[in-house]
Amino acid sequence: MSNPATPPRSLAEALRARDDASLALLLRARPDLITPVPTDLTQLATRAGTRASVLRALERLDRFTLQTAEALAVAGDPASYGELQRLMAGDAGDPAVAAALPHALGALRDQALVWGDDERLRLVRTAREVLAPSPQHPSPTGLGPTVREATTGMSPGRIQEILTAAGLPSTHDPVSAVDKLTALFGHRKKMARLLAAGPAESLEVLGRLVWGPPYGQVTPEPAAHLRWLLDRGLLLPTAPGTVVLPREVALHLREGRAHREPEPVPPAVEPAATHRPPVVDATAAGQAYTALATVEELLKDWDEGGPAVLRAGGLSVRDLKRTAVALDVPEPVAAFWVELAYAAGLLASDGEADERYAATPAYDEWLDRPPAERWSRLAEAWLTATRSSGLVGGRDAKDRALSALGPGLDRSAAPEVRHRVLALLAGLPEGAAPAAGSVLARLRWERPLRGPQQQGEDLRTRLARWALSEAEMLGVTGRGALSAHGRALLGAPPVPRTAEPAAEGPGDKLPVRHHHGVPSLTALTALTALATLEPLSPPEQAVATANAGRLLTPLLPEPLDHVLLQADLTAVAPGPLRRPLADALGVLADVESKGGATVYRFTPASVRRALDAGRTATDLHAFLATHSRTPVPQPLSYLVDDVARRHGHLRVGAASAYVRCDDDTVLGEILADKRAAALRLRRLAPTVLATQADPATLLEGLRAMGYAPAAESAEGDVLITRADAHRTPPRTAPEPVPDGPPPPDPTLLAAAIRAIRAGDLAATTPRKSSGTSVQGGELPRTTAAETLATMQAAVLTGGTLWIGYVNAEGTASQRVVAPIRVEGGFVTAYDHTADEVRTYPLHRVTGVAELAEE
Amino acid sequence: MNGPLIVQSDKTLLLEVDHERADDCRRAIAPFAELERAPEHIHTYRVTPLGLWNARAAGHDAEQVVDALVEYSRYPVPHALLVDIAETMDRYGRLTLSKHPAHGLVLTTTDRPVLEEILRSKRIIPLVGSRIDPDTVAVHPSERGQIKQTLLKLGWPAEDLAGYVDGEAHPIELAEDGWALRPYQKQAVENFWHGGSGVVVLPCGAGKTLVGAGSMAQAKSTTLILVTNTVSARQWKHELVKRTSLTEDEIGEYSGTRKEIRPVTIATYQVLTTKRKGVYPHLELFDSRDWGLIVYDEVHLLPAPVFKFTADLQARRRLGLTATLVREDGRESDVFSLIGPKRFDAPWKEIEAQGYIAPADCVEVRVNLTDSERLAYATAETEEKYRFCATTATKRKVTEAIVKRFAGQQILVIGQYIDQLDELGEHLNAPVIKGETSNAQREKLFDAFREGEISVLVVSKVANFSIDLPEATVAIQVSGTFGSRQEEAQRLGRVLRPKADGHQAHFYSVVARDTIDQDFAAHRQRFLAEQGYAYRIVDADELLAEG
Repeated sequence: MSNPATPPRSLAEALRARDDASLALLLRARPDLITPVPTDLTQLATRAGTRASVLRALERLDRFTLQTAEALAVAGDPASYGELQRLMAGDAGDPAVAAALPHALGALRDQALVWGDDERLRLVRTAREVLAPSPQHPSPTGLGPTVREATTGMSPGRIQEILTAAGLPSTHDPVSAVDKLTALFGHRKKMARLLAAGPAESLEVLGRLVWGPPYGQVTPEPAAHLRWLLDRGLLLPTAPGTVVLPREVALHLREGRAHREPEPVPPAVEPAATHRPPVVDATAAGQAYTALATVEELLKDWDEGGPAVLRAGGLSVRDLKRTAVALDVPEPVAAFWVELAYAAGLLASDGEADERYAATPAYDEWLDRPPAERWSRLAEAWLTATRSSGLVGGRDAKDRALSALGPGLDRSAAPEVRHRVLALLAGLPEGAAPAAGSVLARLRWERPLRGPQQQGEDLRTRLARWALSEAEMLGVTGRGALSAHGRALLGAPPVPRTAEPAAEGPGDKLPVRHHHGVPSLTALTALTALATLEPLSPPEQAVATANAGRLLTPLLPEPLDHVLLQADLTAVAPGPLRRPLADALGVLADVESKGGATVYRFTPASVRRALDAGRTATDLHAFLATHSRTPVPQPLSYLVDDVARRHGHLRVGAASAYVRCDDDTVLGEILADKRAAALRLRRLAPTVLATQADPATLLEGLRAMGYAPAAESAEGDVLITRADAHRTPPRTAPEPVPDGPPPPDPTLLAAAIRAIRAGDLAATTPRKSSGTSVQGGELPRTTAAETLATMQAAVLTGGTLWIGYVNAEGTASQRVVAPIRVEGGFVTAYDHTADEVRTYPLHRVTGVAELAEE
Repeated sequence: MNGPLIVQSDKTLLLEVDHERADDCRRAIAPFAELERAPEHIHTYRVTPLGLWNARAAGHDAEQVVDALVEYSRYPVPHALLVDIAETMDRYGRLTLSKHPAHGLVLTTTDRPVLEEILRSKRIIPLVGSRIDPDTVAVHPSERGQIKQTLLKLGWPAEDLAGYVDGEAHPIELAEDGWALRPYQKQAVENFWHGGSGVVVLPCGAGKTLVGAGSMAQAKSTTLILVTNTVSARQWKHELVKRTSLTEDEIGEYSGTRKEIRPVTIATYQVLTTKRKGVYPHLELFDSRDWGLIVYDEVHLLPAPVFKFTADLQARRRLGLTATLVREDGRESDVFSLIGPKRFDAPWKEIEAQGYIAPADCVEVRVNLTDSERLAYATAETEEKYRFCATTATKRKVTEAIVKRFAGQQILVIGQYIDQLDELGEHLNAPVIKGETSNAQREKLFDAFREGEISVLVVSKVANFSIDLPEATVAIQVSGTFGSRQEEAQRLGRVLRPKADGHQAHFYSVVARDTIDQDFAAHRQRFLAEQGYAYRIVDADELLAEG
């Protein structure tokens, strides 16, 4: 482009003509081109033309740019800018399309999908193959093949007949005939005249096919109105019984447009409601605090032995249910919190033999941080994680259940989608909450799906939906609008707040739509800048996160150091409590209600729990008196005393043997005896000693000391010691181990024979002598280039090859195959050995040899 | 953000009563939130679908509710909760019950899919008639109550615009000579009349009968009053004669002994639910006159069959009166859907603060079982355990000590078990009123107690309701019907009538320590504790030592 005098003849030349900045643009957009770094521009161009890379690039185009590429694929090769514009905007023209087209074309050029100057635009060949219509892959344009393509193989006589029927003079050869026909179809006025003469029914048939799919079925004896169309080449036969509407005819009927609805402008993200920014921030902050509380509650719940790790990894459905009940949230929400804690490194598997989930040491550090910092950590982890909790409960491609914390939850698009969703929110005026549908529509425009839509929502849409709800749960958004700290998290500059309009009425209205006037020009440019926010690099993100935390700090409620005690044995904490107080109260009372405040109820069981935890009644009285703003109600202090009175009244311990004797002086003697020290006897009552030693050791010890103890049964009878017959627990008899393998069944036999015969065929079939002679039984060895060439040749000829193949386990084998397709480093072939179609990675094929014709 | 209200995630609202804006807030949330607990510092309200729909029925919209929450909330209100409120309230009024000139009672919808949905419900099918047009379906007039109740359960409450019949007119005036309705009573009557039908909740002793009388004076039509028992019926009659223009002849009693039907008829639940040969012979009472108003006294005791009859009376105004709308059978919502929503509710402590009920000192006395009793208790059969610990001999000593301490005051001893009461009566030298005591004898004893001829009266649970003992200042409960919360409240109510000399009432509950008696007592006290009555707990030994 720098030198229009000599237009480039290939993509490589076009790339060579580009400056460094523009090459950098290409490589940033398509990073797969430099892994590994190509040796020269020719190699770069080759790589840019590979199917995988082109597909990847096409998938990342926005809808209009993709539509432009699709239009180029149905245009001539090369096509002029004028032709492209006609295809996009139609004969009548469309100012919006005309305005957007240069930008879209520029994007295609930047990405090396299109090269050549405006007179000779060329779509990269692979892209053209992918996008151009073919019977197997209908184009989104709904256009069929050109007249030339559709008439390939048609008899010259038939073509001349069509020419005559269409009212054109006959020509000498089919090529010029087709050219004439094409010219006629492309000529709007002549074409209009031709069609005007047609019967209405015929035109109706054309109308049905015009926006695609362009194929139709006809009977061997078509009706008159179809006959009329077929005679004039307005429909051309493709296969027996099938006809197609040629591309030129369709374009005429469409007034030149390749797309029914070109979408040059991205759909706007519509605000559904607008709230006052302070309300948004406060709501988000409230939710942020809830997020912290929930994560804490979750990990506290798992403090004493979290749930077990499934053998395949992850949390069982039952454990997730239990967690959901404990957190009082639906299961998908519970899965979100669990995954969030995991992503933030606060929870992990303990790696023991009996593997369980537990909080990490990082969790304890996290707990000690100020609330805003704790939130920042969660928010950053969420924003950048590839794991998507929304998938939990679904099934993967192999129909395995996806469990929380389990494998298979990573979706590489997740962070990008999350960022994009938030960036779109940031593009709205402050306090505006978008309609979810409009956000999703915008995302779909930015990254349309190629090809037919599959059932249900695509992954990106689901990811975006999850991102919206997760952002709300995490307190990045409040009431659906991006909060100030959420904005900071993205690294977006804060919106300068104009003087706060006097608050009208209390709070804001929920279901009411506020319509905004047209934003001023400066605001618009600022918003455009926001809409193109890029994900931040890790160090930038750290700064942004810290900023978000700083903004959040003043909004979070200050923890309280007191509660209100009431005579109905409840305590109300009218806000979040300082941690030591919350911990102590959590032991002393049961939580009855959560939210902004916490309601605790004292019960005998809860007070006992506190006493079990080592508190004394005096402690508890002092604790209640210190932390209550009001006098401690009498029933509560009575409850504490009453439970304390009975606490520890009964004592329980473990002993494995005891000594009892009616004469307590004897027991005194034993206790005093130095030799009894090893038995670690303890006096429980005047006539009872207990020990941790087992009865046999105790008996032996006492006998050694010169006593004559008798053993006692559980019922208190004296045990008589006698030789007892020893028995194992129930066991089954051993299975017989026969000498050889069991006789094979018929299926196994048949399979074995087939394998043997196929191997035989491979070894004995005479081979064409090629450069490398192959000894029988040895694997063929050829270079990679030769292998590829031979394979490709075999695809064309339909020949059968003999290949050496090393499987994933490293086992080498010989196979006889008939290659069908070679692409993307794989060869798909009919395997005579296995009797089915298989796909082999080319790099595993050690060599190839042609088989002689049988 | 420094409001008095905290919105919890379980849809309870905590109101800090000492906050300067607490009263404004209470007024703002009262239309849609149900007061659940009212202890000293923080009152708990609950937002329920029923409450939200009642608010809609009373003309409040979702925006007002959301505004009230946002305005008074100390912390940001969770968005999800606001959305939920808006959605719940939006469900009300999609269906309306109204009178159609040609088809009688019809159910109309503004949202066709809702009608389609409910018409597919098995429970609705028997209640409706033919489809009149895509948005309207006929309803059998007799099923008006049933369909409303069922729709409520399905989550699509119908707005009832079919109105009320006026009933047969009958002049009734309040005879306000030397007395007047108290402000809260007036408010209750007004709220009820404005709402059409509903329940008025007032503490015991706060003058519910007068609310009934006031409503009758508003209706000025024939009235059917349903009460719990004959004694109560007589008291209603007595009070109506005294407080209204009605004369003895205009008021009939319909009970086991008398079957009078007059412009104002007082019937007992018992006679209505008497079943002979599988039918209720006295049901025709409901149709015997064109009643303009039906009053249900002690609506928390409404027996199950009466629910069914009430469902058929939707075209008549209904007034429910109660002190404690807690039913251990959990049928509170049936009361609300069949009689009507709560129209007035005053916390006990608020009425006490206004001086209309006496302040009460509630004391739980814990007695120890003797060692032999403990052993016997431990080995008793499960069903016998409560009886065993509730009737421990130690309770007698404690009761005697309390009676001695308040000698000269009017004292009631209330219990569950006849043996125990007989024994107490013997030791205290006091008459015992129990099931077998005749009505005449009962009234004689009550009169004697009122006159101060007897100062101690021992009563069984027959006296639980609606006996009027103005001068009782001390009540001692020795045993009760297991964990019944409303029984406890009714019993406390016995001593809450304001005292002539303005002094405090005393309520003692004697409980055996470390037994199920103690557990039941804790459950019984819950309602009162939630109303702000703080029980002091004392040990029997202390009490005996003081006495």
